[in-house]
Amino acid sequence: MANTAALLRAQELWKPASRLPLVRDEPVFLPLEVPALKRLWKKGLTRGGIAEVYGNRSSGRTSVYLHILAQVTARGEVCAVVDLHNSFHPGSAATVGVRLEQLLWVRCQGNAEHAMHAADLLLHAGGFGAVVLDLCEASARVLNRIPLSYWYRFRRAIENTPAILVVCSGIQQVKSSANSSLWLKRKALHWSGQAPFYLLRSLEFTAALRTPRAVSPPLSIRAVT
Amino acid sequence: MYACLYRPAAEDAANRLLELALHFSPAVERTSSDTVVFSIVSLRKLMGSPHQIASEICRLGYEQKLEANLAIASNPDTAILLARNCAGVILVTPGEENFKLASLPLACLFAVQTNVSLDLLETLQRWGLKTCGDLAALPEQGIAERLGATGIYLRNLACGKINRALRIPPPKTSYEERMELEHPIALLEPLLFLFSRILNELCGRLRAQSQGACALEARLELEEQKKYRCELEFPVPLTESAAMLKLLQLHLERHAPEAPILAFTLRLKTTEPRRVQHGFFLPPAPPADKLELTLARIEGMVGKQNVGAPVLLNTHRPDAFQIAPFHVPDMEMVQKSLHTETPADQQVLRLAIRLFRPALYANVKVAGTAPQGVSAPGVQGNVIRSAGPWKTSGEWWASTSWIREEWDVALDDGALYRIYQESPSREWYVYGIYD
Repeated sequence: MANTAALLRAQELWKPASRLPLVRDEPVFLPLEVPALKRLWKKGLTRGGIAEVYGNRSSGRTSVYLHILAQVTARGEVCAVVDLHNSFHPGSAATVGVRLEQLLWVRCQGNAEHAMHAADLLLHAGGFGAVVLDLCEASARVLNRIPLSYWYRFRRAIENTPAILVVCSGIQQVKSSANSSLWLKRKALHWSGQAPFYLLRSLEFTAALRTPRAVSPPLSIRAVT
Repeated sequence: MYACLYRPAAEDAANRLLELALHFSPAVERTSSDTVVFSIVSLRKLMGSPHQIASEICRLGYEQKLEANLAIASNPDTAILLARNCAGVILVTPGEENFKLASLPLACLFAVQTNVSLDLLETLQRWGLKTCGDLAALPEQGIAERLGATGIYLRNLACGKINRALRIPPPKTSYEERMELEHPIALLEPLLFLFSRILNELCGRLRAQSQGACALEARLELEEQKKYRCELEFPVPLTESAAMLKLLQLHLERHAPEAPILAFTLRLKTTEPRRVQHGFFLPPAPPADKLELTLARIEGMVGKQNVGAPVLLNTHRPDAFQIAPFHVPDMEMVQKSLHTETPADQQVLRLAIRLFRPALYANVKVAGTAPQGVSAPGVQGNVIRSAGPWKTSGEWWASTSWIREEWDVALDDGALYRIYQESPSREWYVYGIYD
């Protein structure tokens, strides 16, 4: 048997069925404009993947995802926000630069099952540049009941498409299905004026990016009013 | 062979001529309000020679007291020219067209073909041509060199050499189907099976006529003489029955008929189909028909009022917006507007607010005028620092009026909230979180 294999090798009687090299498509990125976010996502958000943004209240989650939406709509693409607790503020979004006419807003009135199902339908419909799943105000009990299989399904639905799924929540949800997870923590509030006449100027927060391969050192980012 | 009937200066000529022509052939061309042409080829076995056919047409015309010119020729245009310019009955045997048309004035060619410019007639008259025979006698090559394709067409018309098919208008297609059921149907699934069959048939007609459907109307006849009607409007013209069936199913699941169904009628409203050439460099957008299905499914879950594009209202009232139906924007227009509009400064991260809808009723401890502690469902803490009050009011002339004092408060739970006190009730609410 070994002799036959050696003979075949020596005489080159066999050849691979195809000589086409295996080529993986180069990933496409969505570049971000804020310098601190640029340092975290060097090339930008990976298209066809899940980006997770999580942290406590007032940690800058909403500001970050609105910035992502602004970047996507500025390229002329259509986006969707699946809003679990009806907390999306269109006025803030317009101020950040989100083009509202290119935005589909789905309000789920606190029903997490509807939110997951709506996100699933939108991702499978295709054609969206970014879909934001906003689970920010959901309780830990509700979040822990979301099956992990949903995230695998979402990852499979958007790979090889230009869409980005941004999951925004209080605790880390997507885990290994996410291409990158951005952890945010409030650092400081900056006020102007003197007591008792203060004026809110900015919110400073710490951000660290966790990818399957590495964890970036925390960076300080400011969101100004 | 073709027969042409011409009856000038009569009000009801068109209908009576058409009625007479339809006695002999179903293929009738209404050339103008006073002229009809029809084929008599198939009548030869029934009635005999063209002479016998002509006499039969004359006999029926006499019975109907219809006075008209009749010409029979081997092609429709020769028959028309002769009927319009020669009184009585004229029969042209094949090969004699040139001879019969030779004496007709040149202007009659321009009456048949209306899209030929009358300037050409003037040119021909200046050349000294008066009759069709004069034009037919000119060499074809010379005409082509001087007058081009139009000149050749006119010369062939004058020679009686133009063979064309009759211009018969297509029969009006009905996009409505009714089905009566032997037994009443109470379940949706067997009903959809029948809908599918009918919609397939209607969509086949749509495609055959190069049309699209912009709306689907379903009328159901229910037990106890009840009626059910729904109309689904599509944002883009559809031609596929699967998408229509799914939309109808989603609608019927949400708004089920109240009794079993005895009969139903489906009708499609037609429009021009969507012909879109997507640009190479345009960003991707959801396919309109697929998006419509997706939105219908999501609306079925969360309600129609909870799905759409947010539109800011032109007012200072806090959180003033409305939800508009979402349609995929025209990508070319979006690209153009991106070039014309000045974008917001993207280098700076803007602080956003997320709202509690409705605002959370709160118990607030106040020292002097400033809040010291906030207690609301899910929000609890002492105020570390606050900014305010920001007094706002407006729309005092309407039921949507508001007067309130807003505060930005940083609580010891680590979050930054916007709270407000309403006037005149003096009640406190948590409006949202800076995030």
